[in-house]
Amino acid sequence: MSDSKDLTRRHFLGLAGQAGVAGFAARAIGFNIGLVELIHAEPTKTAVTPFSFAIITDSHLFSIPDHKFDRALEDAVAQVNALSPAPDFVVYTGDIAQNGREDQLVKGQKILSKLKVPLKVIPGEHDWYLDLGKTWNGLFGKETWSFDHKGVHLIGLNSILVKDFWTGANMTPVQRMGVMEMLESPIAGPWGVRDAQLEFLRKDVAKLSPSTAVVIFTHSPLWDYYPRWNFQTQDAPEIREILGKFDHVVSLHGHVHQTIYNKFANFSSAGALSTSWPWPYPPVALDYPGSQMNQADPANTKDGMGTQHVNLGAAGGVVTYDPFANSLTPFLKDGLKV
Amino acid sequence: MKTMSHSKKIYLGAGAALLGSLGTVAIFARAPFTDAQIAQQSQELLEVVNKGRDLWHGSNPSMSNNGLACGNCHPDAAASNPQTFPKWVPQLNAVAPMREMINWCIVHPQGGTALDVASADMVALEAYAVYLYRGEKIQPGYTVPTPPIPVKSGVGYPYKASGIGVDK
Repeated sequence: MSDSKDLTRRHFLGLAGQAGVAGFAARAIGFNIGLVELIHAEPTKTAVTPFSFAIITDSHLFSIPDHKFDRALEDAVAQVNALSPAPDFVVYTGDIAQNGREDQLVKGQKILSKLKVPLKVIPGEHDWYLDLGKTWNGLFGKETWSFDHKGVHLIGLNSILVKDFWTGANMTPVQRMGVMEMLESPIAGPWGVRDAQLEFLRKDVAKLSPSTAVVIFTHSPLWDYYPRWNFQTQDAPEIREILGKFDHVVSLHGHVHQTIYNKFANFSSAGALSTSWPWPYPPVALDYPGSQMNQADPANTKDGMGTQHVNLGAAGGVVTYDPFANSLTPFLKDGLKV
Repeated sequence: MKTMSHSKKIYLGAGAALLGSLGTVAIFARAPFTDAQIAQQSQELLEVVNKGRDLWHGSNPSMSNNGLACGNCHPDAAASNPQTFPKWVPQLNAVAPMREMINWCIVHPQGGTALDVASADMVALEAYAVYLYRGEKIQPGYTVPTPPIPVKSGVGYPYKASGIGVDK
């Protein structure tokens, strides 16, 4: 790519990014400044061929036969298969299983095998800590990956790695898993991707042009949303620094079981609806409170859950939430620009 | 000039003495709790709170037939707003105490067997949630903030009743 083309694209993306933030803020307080018109008025050349992909996450399958979460994941697969146009692929962002048991992971793999498009998977803590990823790796392959698709570089990392708290405490694998299952457990400490994956990331993006559009998938958010519930990734600052050279990075994550958006400079982040249960919003002030969905109705077993799909193009992307029930505010129904 | 009869004087005298004695009783009903007594009472409460925390996270199998516990949807008792009960509960179509809402969750999302509302387990569940929310404002969907503290592995949150992560 020539320098002049790079400059044109970078200028455009910078403008589009500013317009996106302004438009987001404007819409959050109830008016529209014509964001779409502003973006489309700026001519650009791009290497990105528009496409879409879907995200399914946090199914938390139990070993109990015919559990309601099995049916929820089946519904999610059916919902994604019914998308038109069909997504190019699906990314599953962690927590297929509830207790990391082989039967739970196998059950999830079986349900997910009904997807009509290719699947990429990263692990969550519920998948991992019974046998430290042995079964998961056997079923889904490496947890760290990257690939290029239609001009976009996509990266998957395992963000739920913690320091060894179990050996010194003589914990059994089941006890270790029990510690990791509890959202507000203090024992395990904060999660991260750790040095080996940071090194992978450095090497992976070293030769990419700053104009390359990058999408990164992790289970936990790459910002300090609410560390008490591990709504964070300890080495997210290093990840954001490594990816800081790019004009536009989209971070997509599971774990939080809710719609959520944040933005840091070139880095847009969005959370995903789970298929299992919704979590309340933690007690923190958000820069983009409009990205919160409605408080879920506990009497509606599908409220606050669902899937999502992402449209990527020259001017960035839009995350569209596809809830099982009517869980979205009018603002969210337009999708989140990332 | 009328004079008070002897018997009336006796009644009035007795009444004044009774009132005086009641006042004394009201002021000095008991001696203030000693530090040791307060510590013992606090410990009793925190033991119940800790039991409630374990129940909240699934320690009583009868409360669920699908693996779900209160903590799945309500970590740190989030969005349970215990300080707002009794209140109108749409699921029950009535003004109800928190224990009735807890039983609704046990029976419906968790598919378990309702607890006796006067049981020790129910008291413990309520104690855990109320303890987390003591003094907190009433706000729909509100979750009590729980600041981190230094722990061995970095920054974390205490498990035991030394604070349960919320004592400021």
